[in-house]
Amino acid sequence: MIREDERLLDGGPLLPVRCRTCAAEVLARKASWEQTSIQWTAEAAAACHELGADPLGTCGALRSAIQEAALAGTITVLDEHTPDPSTIPHDH
Amino acid sequence: MTAVESDAIRRIEAEAISSRFARGWHCLGPAEKFKDGKPHTVHAFGQKLVVFTGGDGKTNVLDAYCRHMGGDLSQGTVKGDEIACPFHDWRWGGDGRCKKIPYSRRVPLRARTAAFPTMEKNQLLFVWNDPEGKQPPDDVTIPVIEGVGRDDWTQWRWTEQIVHTNAREVIDNVVDMAHFFYIHNSFPTYFKNIFEGQTAIQIMKGKSRPDARRDDGGGKGPRMLGNTSVAAYHGPSFMIDELTYHYEGYDLTSILINCHYPIDENSFSLHSGIIVQHSDKLPAAAAEATAEKLSTFILAGFQQDVEIWKNKTRIDNPLLCEEDGPVYQLRRWYEQFYVDVADVTPEMTDRFEYEIDTTRPVESWEREVEENLKRREAEEARA
Repeated sequence: MIREDERLLDGGPLLPVRCRTCAAEVLARKASWEQTSIQWTAEAAAACHELGADPLGTCGALRSAIQEAALAGTITVLDEHTPDPSTIPHDH
Repeated sequence: MTAVESDAIRRIEAEAISSRFARGWHCLGPAEKFKDGKPHTVHAFGQKLVVFTGGDGKTNVLDAYCRHMGGDLSQGTVKGDEIACPFHDWRWGGDGRCKKIPYSRRVPLRARTAAFPTMEKNQLLFVWNDPEGKQPPDDVTIPVIEGVGRDDWTQWRWTEQIVHTNAREVIDNVVDMAHFFYIHNSFPTYFKNIFEGQTAIQIMKGKSRPDARRDDGGGKGPRMLGNTSVAAYHGPSFMIDELTYHYEGYDLTSILINCHYPIDENSFSLHSGIIVQHSDKLPAAAAEATAEKLSTFILAGFQQDVEIWKNKTRIDNPLLCEEDGPVYQLRRWYEQFYVDVADVTPEMTDRFEYEIDTTRPVESWEREVEENLKRREAEEARA
């Protein structure tokens, strides 16, 4: 029997994030700014340009898309105590 | 977002363990061991098996019990390409068919026993288990390990032991970052899992623990800074770990095998294998010595796990914090090997990635290491 990870129920679910360089749409979740879960589908994995080259890495473009979704609030970063990278003044 | 706190007592749940065993290639150890012209008894998949290499050089695995009167073929004799039963000398071929009964004119109909497909790879013997009785598909295999058999790598150092618990316990370690600190005296600083198809990967980086007093030269040799490990299960039981130890000024490159086969639902045979690459800093003899040391070290690590497994309970509903790994998703991946091929669903095989935020664990463990060092200093001052 396959059981559900209760953290998804108690903390928050995986939510859709679309990559901007390819057609891949995945489900993503961030428990904190540094934590990321990514659920791919076969279609998304087939669409991704980077996975074939480096199956051990997380696609850089998708990583950015998830980070942007987190900053925009499209996906919630569950632990608010961790520093929000947007507040780190690397732009100025 | 905060979850609602509950006053209800958390119950540990555990279903009865199925006596169905995983579909896939299982490693029985170095292939050479089975090429001595003698039959070997192997208890696996809830059965007794006979492993023997015929005169043709092919290593075969059959159900150990002779279909004639139930004699144990693994107590028999290899005669030509066949295994002869010790009871009445019936001869069984590697394909599972009875080839000859010396005292009879004919072999009866239905004289066929269970034969398990075998494969030799990386100088290791693999046996295919499939509850549906099918042959292994061509694309389900074990990757070639570059360093095996090369003269700039050491030979396999292999260990095996019987562990009295269900094999799921050893699989769970793939996602269990925190136990590496508490049980194995490691210090993970980076931890990520990827599950896809029949592969489950663990990528881990760690630093050395000054409080663990691991015997790595006692301050004489080069200082160990940390390690990088990329470990992947290929199928349900065979893990290849590309393990690099970073020393001041050089890297030590090794391949570690962590594999098992189920004996029955309550025990499994746990194996480890290691090869180490020679280098300028590590010429042949030094590499051999290092491999020996690492092998002992890995065995000690298994012992640490075994101590936990001996006393823990099986738990189907582990209660997880956000700094734990994806236990449920790992078990979802593992489930594909326990259902018929037709019942494998995309959720079991679709790619899933999970990277742990190690900020808090690292902070907490640094504090603990610091405290351990201080306590030791105080103890030594008193002594």
